[in-house]
Amino acid sequence: MSKWLANNLWRHVVAIAVVLFSLFPLYLVIISSLNPSGSLNLTSFLPREVSWVNYELLFTDSRIPYLTWMKNSLIIAGAVAILSVTIGAASAFAFSRLRFKGKVSGLKLLLLVQMFPAILAISAVFVIMERVQSFAPEIGLGSKPGLLLVYLGGAMGVNIWLLKGFVDSIPAELDEAAKVDGASPMQIYWLIFIPLATPVLAVVALLSFIGTFNEFILARLFLVDMSERTIAVGLQSFIGGQYSQNWGPFAAGSIIASVPIVIIFLSLQKYIVNGLTAGSVKG
Amino acid sequence: MLVSIFRGKFAFVLKVISLLLISAILVMLAQQALASGEYAIAIFLGLATFALNFVYLTKTSIPLKFFLPGLLFLLAFVVGPVLYTLAMSGFTYQTGNTLSKEDAIVQIQKLGKVQDANGTIFDVGVGKTSANELGIIYFDSLTNEFAISTAKARTVEPASTIVKDDFEIPASSPNFRPLTDNEFSAVDAQISELRFFYNDEFYLGLEGFQAASLYKPSLRLDEATGEFTSLVDGDIYRDNGRGNFANEAGKVLEPGWRAPIWFENYTKLFTDERLRTPFIEVFLWTISFAALSVLTTFALGLLLAIALNKAIRGRRVYRSILILPYAMPSVMSILIWGGMFDTEFGAINNLFGTDIAWFQNAAFARTAVIVVNLWLGFPYFYLVASGALQAIPAELSEAAAIDGASPRQIFNKITLPLLLKILSPLLIASFAFNFNNFNLIYLLTGGGPIAQLDGEIAGATDILISYTYKIAFNEGNSNLGLASAISVLIFLLVASISLYGLKKSKVLEDFV
Repeated sequence: MSKWLANNLWRHVVAIAVVLFSLFPLYLVIISSLNPSGSLNLTSFLPREVSWVNYELLFTDSRIPYLTWMKNSLIIAGAVAILSVTIGAASAFAFSRLRFKGKVSGLKLLLLVQMFPAILAISAVFVIMERVQSFAPEIGLGSKPGLLLVYLGGAMGVNIWLLKGFVDSIPAELDEAAKVDGASPMQIYWLIFIPLATPVLAVVALLSFIGTFNEFILARLFLVDMSERTIAVGLQSFIGGQYSQNWGPFAAGSIIASVPIVIIFLSLQKYIVNGLTAGSVKG
Repeated sequence: MLVSIFRGKFAFVLKVISLLLISAILVMLAQQALASGEYAIAIFLGLATFALNFVYLTKTSIPLKFFLPGLLFLLAFVVGPVLYTLAMSGFTYQTGNTLSKEDAIVQIQKLGKVQDANGTIFDVGVGKTSANELGIIYFDSLTNEFAISTAKARTVEPASTIVKDDFEIPASSPNFRPLTDNEFSAVDAQISELRFFYNDEFYLGLEGFQAASLYKPSLRLDEATGEFTSLVDGDIYRDNGRGNFANEAGKVLEPGWRAPIWFENYTKLFTDERLRTPFIEVFLWTISFAALSVLTTFALGLLLAIALNKAIRGRRVYRSILILPYAMPSVMSILIWGGMFDTEFGAINNLFGTDIAWFQNAAFARTAVIVVNLWLGFPYFYLVASGALQAIPAELSEAAAIDGASPRQIFNKITLPLLLKILSPLLIASFAFNFNNFNLIYLLTGGGPIAQLDGEIAGATDILISYTYKIAFNEGNSNLGLASAISVLIFLLVASISLYGLKKSKVLEDFV
């Protein structure tokens, strides 16, 4: 018994302490979202009464176009996920399977460019898109398609690298066999590579979805109109530092927005951990 | 059968149609860009169209067919902005200096005017002459006559033909009618720029729709030398090479323009006292913040990984709960923590029975930032450290144990050094990531608290990237040139850190 204590007790103590630290904010958000007074002030850490009034507010209060924000986020993040993987997969295939001049220097350049964090170039992106807006307002500053284009450009470097890593892990024997049989690179890509890579592409698409869903600053600079905002920007502006007033609906709103992301994340755990050790850090 | 879709006529037709559509859109955009003077964008769109058609209609390069779309996106939204940032960092590009020089000269001429000595002002009616020219009708109290002025000429009207409105202000005559409502709104936008002829020296400028004052230009542009001469005191305003016309005393004419100043945005970070002090403070805090973040998250993650590196009961449950902070969208988590640190109603003060104003005090705000980042970041190191512990061969510690090493010795001499070796690229990557952890700072403290008195925009928790953002997008006083210069410096720093980290890992070796 004492041996068990010496060997295992401290492990449980450490684990439980950190579990409490992890759960504390999450627990608070859940109970305050159920607190009908909607105030930040918690007189007790145990819920006294439970009500869904904060959740109802999200869908009825005209000050909070919650559904519109959610819809904007889903559309933008979904479009970025699908398009960036479609474009990125083709590039990754070329970098992984084809031989061409300048491949190594191309990859190095890609790596270097990617190290210029998107946020550093943000004033340049802003000025450029302001200019685009002057002649094509539908894809310039303030428009969803404009933001989508910027996201696609920014995601390209990371995605090509990530996808290349995954593509490298798919055995090359099959497409080499096809090559021997006289298949063109296009045929190898569409008939062999894509069917094989579909699960991997889906994972990268979901990761890209999470990343875009979580993006804050570009969305904030780009989408100024209340009805154009994404969920992250919308909730931030709604709470706007005035924590005491809008806390209840904010808590409810952030829970609804987080649940799908947490579920996707947990179900992709294995792939994400693999991606982590490859050196990518979640934003 | 399936093959024919990708090889046959059908595929070819599909390809040509989509190429045509995309080309049409790009060419249309290029034309619009050209029409509004955005040559660089127009050239890029034109080249992109050409490249797309060339690559997909010929057999020059098969790899290009695969990565051209990705390449174009990278060029447009990553490489382009990076180069643009570099270019902007060499210019004065700030509030008051955002125009091109040509536009600035036009604006200066419009703004450069002085009223006559008596401050003469006439009641006027705005309207159109019978020749459909925009004009004003008024009683000229200097000459005691009624007159109509257009941009080019002034004509005297007989008093008997003038029709006045309810306020006894001249409104119309047989040669003149008032503006319609639609015309009013069209004129409204440019009202301050309209000039009506009075005599060779003075012109009439509108003060609203019912009054006009006598003005004369205060500046004369000498086309040959490109200098402005003040008609008031004779001062000469020359291009000072920094985006403004200035006289000898250093007084400048507004607005200025974007002028190349090469490396001055960089050098003034180190020479200008007012910039250097906050810049160095922010820089030091950025380093400490990133280092402390890596240290705390790594320490806690490693502790957990070691504690759970044994099949104890409930390990799976612990694990799923411990990665929750990492799975939550970080924007939401940061905002939630913001509420928890609220002074009056926040859960933290509530829990400890304190009433600390967390975000008003530099030390407390910094502590809060580190604590929140610990919560956000420890699961990452828990996950990677767990993986790394598995990767260390058990034989090593077993052999050491047989040789009589204590568990502590085994950890200090074998496990930890190996772990650090495996994880050092990730530690460096994490440092680089936190170096630019904009969301955390911006959403939690907004960079504050700020010492309001010295008019400085840098706050105690501002890191370089949030400081740069403030400089670039500060309302009423933004300085894109300086912000770009700092961006370039951050890039050089982060890139060297990351390259060092990559050299340590094997990523580069894989394809070199």
